Amino acid sequence: MEDELTMCQVREGAVGKLELLFDRHYPGILRYFQYLTSNRTLSEDLAQEVFFRILKYRHTYQPEGNFRAWLYQIARRVYADQLSKRKPEVAMPQEAREISGAALPPDREFQKKQETLMLRRALAAMPGDKREVLIMSRFLELKYEEIATVLECEVGTVKQRVYRAMRDLSDRFFALSGERAS
Amino acid sequence: MNCERIREQIPEALAGRLNQADREALVEHLEGCAACRTEVAELNAVWRGLETVKSAMDDAAPDAGAKVRFQEMLAAYQAGMAAAQPAARPVGTPPRSAWFNQPVWRFAMAAGLLLAGILCGRYLPQAGAGGNPEMAQLRAQVENLHQMVAISMLQQQSPSARMRGVTYTEKIAQPDPQVLDALLQAVNHDANVNVRLSAVDALQKFATGPEVALAMVNSIPEQESPLVQIALIDMLVQLDARGAAPGLARISKDMKMDEMVRQRAAWALHKMEVQG
Repeated sequence: MEDELTMCQVREGAVGKLELLFDRHYPGILRYFQYLTSNRTLSEDLAQEVFFRILKYRHTYQPEGNFRAWLYQIARRVYADQLSKRKPEVAMPQEAREISGAALPPDREFQKKQETLMLRRALAAMPGDKREVLIMSRFLELKYEEIATVLECEVGTVKQRVYRAMRDLSDRFFALSGERAS
Repeated sequence: MNCERIREQIPEALAGRLNQADREALVEHLEGCAACRTEVAELNAVWRGLETVKSAMDDAAPDAGAKVRFQEMLAAYQAGMAAAQPAARPVGTPPRSAWFNQPVWRFAMAAGLLLAGILCGRYLPQAGAGGNPEMAQLRAQVENLHQMVAISMLQQQSPSARMRGVTYTEKIAQPDPQVLDALLQAVNHDANVNVRLSAVDALQKFATGPEVALAMVNSIPEQESPLVQIALIDMLVQLDARGAAPGLARISKDMKMDEMVRQRAAWALHKMEVQG
């Protein structure tokens, strides 16, 4: 409720209070864009724009609404605007591109590193909508209720979408690694 | 419970968010279903792997520059608010003076005071019966200084400096072709969407002639951001720019435009008709 109260004050004109919300949520918003774009500089620009839009559209905040869900709704729109301007596919992390076809030494640490890179590669290759729901659930740890508000759907739909995204990621990962769990 | 319903609960179970009853039902199902056990094993391997990806990303903490950039944007916005409502500061908003400490502001204010001092020293002693024209000249000089500062800031490389330039135009009392041109340039060509949006807001003060409304409506199809396009349409409605109606009609039917923008243009036309 603390966020919601602060946002109500911002809405009523105490815009300086936005700094508190910036301190609390900028890291999460930055990570959200980094997961989506794999581009740090672009993510910083997009994260700044989210907070600018909060200021500009502060009157549209509904006091009874969950602030974090509203925040990620704005972030989602900022990303959608960005996509309409640029190539939609996310850039694959450089290391993930480099591992293709690499030989595998029998070293456990190296193997783990390679698995992580393959996972990042699989994640980058996923369709945007599946990657997004996974980012919100797994990385940003948003509650299903919050994700439902952001995506404007039912909680049951979120549950299905997170599972399907995990299934998709798992298929891509095991296809890359050439083995499945037993 | 069937396998599909059970499998949808696996991510929640792996995250430790499943309630006790559902967890017990899941465990009971897994005891008798080898396919779902394999599913849990695979998703668990991926779920754990994602933890490593997450840790690597979480290590990349935001740098201090991000906060400074945010504070500059906030200060510019507050300055804009103060300029728009000089008599009514919102309750609970402490007066913010950080932006006065920015070197460019200090320079601009110092230059303004210096110029005012020189001009006062030069003209005031001579001001007898004919003092008023000289005072008018002094005001014009200060106004010119405001315009120079605004134009100079609008040409800066840093988006936050350009944003301050846009806000600074609020200080200018009389419309000036150069300032108007600089704002239109910002609306049409600035790389930063925040600056473009602020420039749209600032233009409202100067948009008295039909040529400005025409420039704004012509700018709409050129904009990449639907947000800026909608802001431009809204301003044309506020200005009741009837001359822009043919352009808005074209936009409302242009299928290349964003759907929201088309709808907004149609709404704007309707609004102008109702007001008429």
